Amino acid sequence: MRSLTGFIQTLVILVAIGLTLWAFARVAVREFQRIRGGGADSVELVVMHWAGGGGQQEDRIVEDSLREFERRNPGITVRRINPGDSGQYFTKLQTMMASGDPPDVFYMDFSRMPAFVGAGQLAELDGLVQVDDYFQPTVDAFRWDGVRQGSGPLYGVPKDFTTLGFYYNKSLFDRAGIDYPSDDWTWDDFIAAARAIGSLDEGTTGAEIVTWDFVLRAMLWTEGTDILDADGQLVTDDPKLKATLDRLRSWRFDEEGTLLGAEAEGLDPSSLFLTGRLGMVGPFGRWVVPSYREIPPPSEGGFEWDFAPLPRGSVRANTIATVSWALAERSDHPEAAGKLLAWLVGPETQAAQSRLGLAIPTLSEVARSDAFIDEGTPPFNDLAYLDAVAHARVPAWPLDREFSLQFSRWMDLSLRSNRDLDRSLEGFGDWWERKQASPLSRAEFPAMPWGLLLLLVAAATSVLLILFWFRRPAVPAGSAEPSEARSGFLLALPWLVGFLVFMAGPILLSLALSFTRWNGLGPLDTAEFVGLGNYQRIFGEDRTFWQSLKVTGYYVLLAVPIGQVFALLVAMLLNTTLRGIEFFRAAFYLPSVLAGVGMSILFIWVFKSEGGMVNSILEPLLAPLGLRPPEWFNRDAAWFGVPAFALMNLWLIGGSMMIYLAGLRNIPAELYEAASIDGAGPVRRFTSITLPMLGPVLLFNGIMALIGSFQVFTQAFIMTGGGPGDDTRFYVLYLYSKAFELYDMGYASGLAWLLLLVVLLLTVLVLRTSGRFVHYEGLRQ
Amino acid sequence: MAEVTLQNACKTYPGGFRAVKGFDLRIADGEFVVLVGPSGCGKSTTLRMIAGLEGITDGTIAIGGDVVNEVRASDRDIAMVFQNYALYPHMSVERNLSFGLMRRRSHRSRLRALLSPDYRRKMAEETEAIRQRVGEAARMLGITGMLDRQPRALSGGQRQRVALGRALVRDPRVFLFDEPLSNLDAKLRVEMRTELRVLHRELEATMIYVTHDQEEAMTLGDRLVVMNEGLVQQVDTPTDIYHRPVNRFVAGFVGTPAMNFVEGEVLPDGSFRSGGATLSLGDPFRDVRPGKAVLGVRPSALLPCESGRGWECRIVAVEHLGDRVDLVLEWEGDQFISRVDATREFAEGASLWVEPGSGEGVHLFEADEVGRTLASR
Repeated sequence: MRSLTGFIQTLVILVAIGLTLWAFARVAVREFQRIRGGGADSVELVVMHWAGGGGQQEDRIVEDSLREFERRNPGITVRRINPGDSGQYFTKLQTMMASGDPPDVFYMDFSRMPAFVGAGQLAELDGLVQVDDYFQPTVDAFRWDGVRQGSGPLYGVPKDFTTLGFYYNKSLFDRAGIDYPSDDWTWDDFIAAARAIGSLDEGTTGAEIVTWDFVLRAMLWTEGTDILDADGQLVTDDPKLKATLDRLRSWRFDEEGTLLGAEAEGLDPSSLFLTGRLGMVGPFGRWVVPSYREIPPPSEGGFEWDFAPLPRGSVRANTIATVSWALAERSDHPEAAGKLLAWLVGPETQAAQSRLGLAIPTLSEVARSDAFIDEGTPPFNDLAYLDAVAHARVPAWPLDREFSLQFSRWMDLSLRSNRDLDRSLEGFGDWWERKQASPLSRAEFPAMPWGLLLLLVAAATSVLLILFWFRRPAVPAGSAEPSEARSGFLLALPWLVGFLVFMAGPILLSLALSFTRWNGLGPLDTAEFVGLGNYQRIFGEDRTFWQSLKVTGYYVLLAVPIGQVFALLVAMLLNTTLRGIEFFRAAFYLPSVLAGVGMSILFIWVFKSEGGMVNSILEPLLAPLGLRPPEWFNRDAAWFGVPAFALMNLWLIGGSMMIYLAGLRNIPAELYEAASIDGAGPVRRFTSITLPMLGPVLLFNGIMALIGSFQVFTQAFIMTGGGPGDDTRFYVLYLYSKAFELYDMGYASGLAWLLLLVVLLLTVLVLRTSGRFVHYEGLRQ
Repeated sequence: MAEVTLQNACKTYPGGFRAVKGFDLRIADGEFVVLVGPSGCGKSTTLRMIAGLEGITDGTIAIGGDVVNEVRASDRDIAMVFQNYALYPHMSVERNLSFGLMRRRSHRSRLRALLSPDYRRKMAEETEAIRQRVGEAARMLGITGMLDRQPRALSGGQRQRVALGRALVRDPRVFLFDEPLSNLDAKLRVEMRTELRVLHRELEATMIYVTHDQEEAMTLGDRLVVMNEGLVQQVDTPTDIYHRPVNRFVAGFVGTPAMNFVEGEVLPDGSFRSGGATLSLGDPFRDVRPGKAVLGVRPSALLPCESGRGWECRIVAVEHLGDRVDLVLEWEGDQFISRVDATREFAEGASLWVEPGSGEGVHLFEADEVGRTLASR
C-alpha cells in the first residue's frame, strides 16, 4: 500500500516536472524559430478576429479562407486567434499591442480606429488594395486625417458593412390590417403601425427602439439635425434636436403598448423579436439576420418577417456600421501580411462570407450578385440595405471616445428613465465643456522617465536588502536553523518569484502609471508623465467619479449589513440536526458557485418592471395603497437600481453563510445550556452567547463583504452597463470603462489606487474599532 | 432547598435508543447523591433531565413536590456545573457570576428605568445586592482577586471555582454537577473533592453529582446511585455499596483494584469448586443452593496461605504501593490481583498459594448475566 502511494507520488511529481519543462521548451522553440526564421523562406502570420452573430460559422469561413490563402501562397503559414466576442477581442488586442506583439492582420471597427491610429498601431493601406469598387462610405469610414473620419490615409479595408433599419413582424402587420413598410416610409408611418400593433391585445407591443449612440445620431439625421455641427462642435440648443429626442421619449413614456423599453432593463431587444409579440425592432443592421433566420415559418408556429430601411423624417438618412481588416504597423512581415489582407477583403472571401447572411459585402459587385441577393430566404428586401448607402453617412465622433459614451448616458436619462430632456442636454454640454477645458485633454506632457524610475526602485530595493541583511537576527553557531531557513526560503522561492513578477510588479507599475497619460495600446514608452494630473481631474472635474463613489457607497451600506444579517440567519436555520439538512446546506450554497453572468441574466427577469418576479409579488401588495412597484433598472433606477443589486447579492451569501455555520458549530453547546439555566431566553442567548462568540467570524465576514462590495462588477456590467445614465455606475464599472473602452489606462490606474485607498482606510477603521466587540479565543476555551 | 423525586423517568431518543429505562429515586432535602456508572450508562442524561436540558419521555420528575416535566430549565430554580466549566468566555469573572442573577432581577427594564426614578432606584438596589452576593460567593471560593479577569486568564482549577461560584451565587433549590472535576489534574481533583464536601456541609443544599469515577463517588456521596445501561443497579450508602453489592456489576464497578471473579460450582457441602481446586468458604455460603456460580473476592481479601489450601498461582507482576503491594497473579488462565502488606518480599515468576480470607470481601453471585448476589461476607 505504502509503496503504491509512493509510486503514485513519484509519478505525479515526474509528470509535473515533465509538463513544466515541455511548456518552457515549447515557448523557447517557438521564439527561437521566430528569431531565426525572420525573413527566411517560412513566414508565420497571426490573424485575429472575433465571432459575433456569425458564431461558429464565421469561425469556419475565416478558417477556410486562411487555409485557401496558405495553399495559394506556399511558404506562408497563418495562425488564427479568436478570443470570443468583440469585447474580449479588444481587451486581447490591447494587451497584445501593449506587450509589443500584435497580430499581423486583425478586425478593426470604424469607431475605435482613430484611437488605434493615434497609438501608432495601424499601418496605412493606400495602394495596397484597390478600393474603387467598394461602397465609398464604407471605405471613407476608415480614413482618418488626425481630426475627422472620412478623409486622409486609409487604415482599414472594410470587410463587410451594414445600414440600419427596422425588422418587422409581417404576421402582426397582417393581424392589425396595415400595409407593410415601404422603402420610403416615414416616422409617422412607423408610429402609426406601432400603435396599431400595440393595441391588438395585451401581449403585443408596437416596437422597440434602441438608443445606442450611433443609432440615435442616425435617427437625428433623418430630421435634419445632429449633436455635432459641420466643424465637429457640440450643439445642444437646436429646437429640431430637442423635438426629435422628445418625440422618442414621449413614444416610450406617454403611451401604453407602443414602445417596449426593454433594453433599459438589460433584456436583449433583438431576442425579444423572436417571441413574435413585438411588431418592429431596431434600428438594427444586418447582424441579427442569422438568428432571425431561425424563426420558423407560420405553419410551424413562427411568423413571417422582413426588413425595412430607417424611416424618413424631413430627409432620408442612414448610417453605416462597418468592420475592416487592418494591418499592424509593427508587423514583422508587412509584405506577406499585406498580401493576406488583400486576400481577406477580396471578392472570393467576401462572397463566401456573405452566404452566411450576416455580412453585406463591401465590394458593390459582390453585394449585387447572387452571393448576397437571395429572394428565397428572409429578409426578402436585401436591396434595401444597399439602396440606403446612397444617403448614408459614417458618424464622425470627436477623437475623445468618452464623448459618444457620455452622449448615450445623458440621453438615456431621458429616453430610458424619463427625466427632463433639457437638463440631460445641458448636463451633457457641461460635461463636454469641462472635459475639453481639462489640462489633460490638450497639453503635451514629457515622456515618462521609466529609466529613472527603474533606477529608483532598484536603489530602494538594494537599500532594503542591505538593511535586512545587517539587521537579521544573530544565529548561534552550530544551530540547524540557518540551513532550515535556507531550505524554507528555497521552497518558498517559486511562489516568491511569482508574487514579485505577477503581483507586486504590476501593482507597482499601476501606481507609476497613475501619474501618466497612457492609452494602453502602445508600448509603455508612449506613456507621458502628468504628475498629479489624473488625481486632480478625478477630484476636481470628474462628476462620474463622485457619482460612481456614491453608487458604490450606497451599495456597500445596503449590501453589507443586509447580506451579513441574512447569511447569519440562514446559517442559524441550517445549524440544526434535521433529517436532510445537508440538502438545504448545499442548496443555499449552490448559487455561489454559479457563474455570475448566468445569474445576472436570471435576475434581469426577476427585476423586470412588468411581469418580473419581484414586481408580480409587489404589485398586488402595493395596489391597495395606491402605489406601483418600482421600475428597478429603469425609471426609478436612481433610488431602486442599487437596492436591486443589494437584494440580488442575497443570492450570493453562500460563502459567508458557510463560515457562519462553521463558527456556530464551534460554539460549545454547554454555553447555551448554562445560559438557559441562568434564565436567558432565546433572544438573550443570541445576544449574550451567539453574537459575542461569533465576534471574529463576524469581523472576518464583514471585512470580506466590505471589500467584495466595493468590487461589484459582473452583475452591473451584464444587467445595466451602469445605466440608465450613471444611476448604477459602480466604481469598478467606471474603472473598467476608462481602461478598456476609453483607453485611458493612466487615469484608470489612478482610480484603482483610490479604490484601494478607500477600502484600506475602511478596513483599518473597522479593525481598529473591532477590539470593543470582538473577543478572540472566544471559540476555544 | 428541596427534595427531588424521579418516578419511572425514561428517556428514549428519536431513533429508538433508550438512554434511561425507568429511573426511580427520591432524593431528600439537603442530600448529596452521586450518580455513578461507566460512560453511556445514562447518568448524565438523567441529570440533564432533572436540569430540564433534556425532555423526559415517560414518568415524572418533581422538585420540591412540584412536577417539573414541562417546566423550562430557567424556571426550575436549579444550578448546574459543567464538565468543561461552560464559562462565558467574553465576560469577566464577575459578570459570569452575576449573569444568572441579573437575568432574574424583578427590575430590569432599562426603558422603564429611563422613565421612572423610583424604578431606577430599585434597579440600582437590586444590582448592588447582586454585587454583594457575588462578592460573598467569591470570598467563599477564594476567587475575590480574579473578579475582573477574563476566563481565559485563569487556570483550570480557578475556572472550576468560578463555575462553582456561578452556581453558588444563585442559591438554587438543587445543585447539579456533571463530572465537574474530570478536567482537573489528580492532585487538584482531590483538593476540590474535599472542598465540595465542606461546601455541602455548610450549605446543606440538595446536590446531585454525576461522575464515572467510583472513587470520587465513594468519597463524595451521602448515597450512591450505580447505573448501567440505562438502569439503576443499586442505591445505597457508599459503605453498603462496597460491602453489599446487589450484583456482579456493582461489585465489579466499585472498588480499586476491581474485584476478582472466578467461575465455578457450589457443591452440596457449601464448598466452591473451580478447575482443579475446591475451597471451603464457610459462613454464610453454606446455605447457597448447589450449582454453577461466580465467586468474587476483593483483592484485599485474597490472601497468601499455606501450600495446598487454595489456588497455586504464578506471580506475573509485583506493584509496590508503599505500605501495600499489589500482586498480579495467574491461575489456570485467569488473572487475579491480591493486595497484601508490604512486609514480605515477592519475586515475579515465583509461585504463590492464595485463598479468600475469612474476613469481609468475599461474595458469591449467580452465574447468569445479571449475576445477582447469592451471599456476601
